[in-house]
Amino acid sequence: MRTSTPSFSNLIKTPIATIIILLAISLVLLFLPSKFSNQIKMTCVAPIRPLQWATCFCSNSASNFFDRIISAWQDARIKKQLEQQVSQFKNKITEQQDAIYKLQNKLQILSKFQAENRNGKTSVIPADIIGYDTSNFRKSVTINAGSKHGVKSNDIVVSNDALVGRIVTISGSTSIVQLITDTASRIPGRILQTREQVIVEGNATGFCQLKYVPRWAKLKKGDDIVSSDIGGFYPPSIPIATVVENETKGGALFQTVKVLPKVDISKIESVLVITD
Amino acid sequence: MRWLTFFCILFCISLFQSALINWINIGVAMPDLYFPLVVFYSFLTDFRRNTVANWFAGLSKDLFSEGHLGINSIFFVAVGFLLWSIRSVLYRGHLVTQIIITFIFSVMYNILCAAHTALSFHSLNFSSTLWIIFISSLYTAMIVPILFWIFSKFQPTQRLFLNQ
Repeated sequence: MRTSTPSFSNLIKTPIATIIILLAISLVLLFLPSKFSNQIKMTCVAPIRPLQWATCFCSNSASNFFDRIISAWQDARIKKQLEQQVSQFKNKITEQQDAIYKLQNKLQILSKFQAENRNGKTSVIPADIIGYDTSNFRKSVTINAGSKHGVKSNDIVVSNDALVGRIVTISGSTSIVQLITDTASRIPGRILQTREQVIVEGNATGFCQLKYVPRWAKLKKGDDIVSSDIGGFYPPSIPIATVVENETKGGALFQTVKVLPKVDISKIESVLVITD
Repeated sequence: MRWLTFFCILFCISLFQSALINWINIGVAMPDLYFPLVVFYSFLTDFRRNTVANWFAGLSKDLFSEGHLGINSIFFVAVGFLLWSIRSVLYRGHLVTQIIITFIFSVMYNILCAAHTALSFHSLNFSSTLWIIFISSLYTAMIVPILFWIFSKFQPTQRLFLNQ
């Protein structure tokens, strides 16, 4: 009786071989240094970024448009006659107004920021948010500013003068911002009123938590947390969050403190990247 | 199974999940649009195609997410394999089965993800993480009827209603 050894092409057609090959590729990707895996990510996703930007832009415009429609409808309930006269006109100019408001807002924030930092060595780059993280347990956003615009890794991202996060991955025209609510985010901070040194840590919810707040620290609801220059990573005095609740459990060394970020990350559309 | 259709669906899901998810988020409840796709193909296709489809779905999720590349591919392949192996004892054609299975396996998948995140960063709160897992899985399961209806419009689903 003759037995034949299976050829390679037959072998890779078997289901077990398929699963082994795919899992091996996944494991290789998993253990790649983050620099290479980020590069792969950015390269693979680069062709989709313009579409992502367009989708996000349309979504934001539509959202603003619907907001205006709703507000117009609410006004109409109060001033029905007047609203009926101007509603047609409003609808025609809504689209143009939206673009003007957006640009004005961006210009205002930029001018204010530049006026405040005239003597500093930093420069700011305005950017729009074009994508969100697809995972439940990671919090990041994609912005439409990259190395071509002068963005560098670890640059700080702010919105309305409050900390949003830092740049973790860059490509030519887009970057990924690790938000302060991300599970991997650790920011050295200081409690404004008591001057206690703390670490602001994300936990994948809308809130953050403070680590290493001694049990004797006198915290109260509404206390502000600002960034600290310890470590030299973040510029000092950027508002981060506000204390929402604090609790000292049994014999614990540290307090459990829940803080609310100053920026409502789900609502911002544009940010400023601070570069050295 | 039409691969071109699969990749088109995957592309649309990636675009929606990464750009428009704020439209359908309710607080911390963020539906995972990739997961119903994993369930659908695990119910529908043979072992080999199911594995490849789930691997690509996981990789696509990884590409649009901050974190390790390849982790979701492994989780999706594992969950897909588990689903595929028990599908013969399920009445797959019934909507309630699809919703309950999506919910249960989504909870399992989210627990795996949460465990991986907790081991990597030690920053997840137990109670809030449990709440995120429950509410996100529930939301994902609730959108299954719509998504399965859309998927079935593009993919032949005769085999979905056969108990093999």
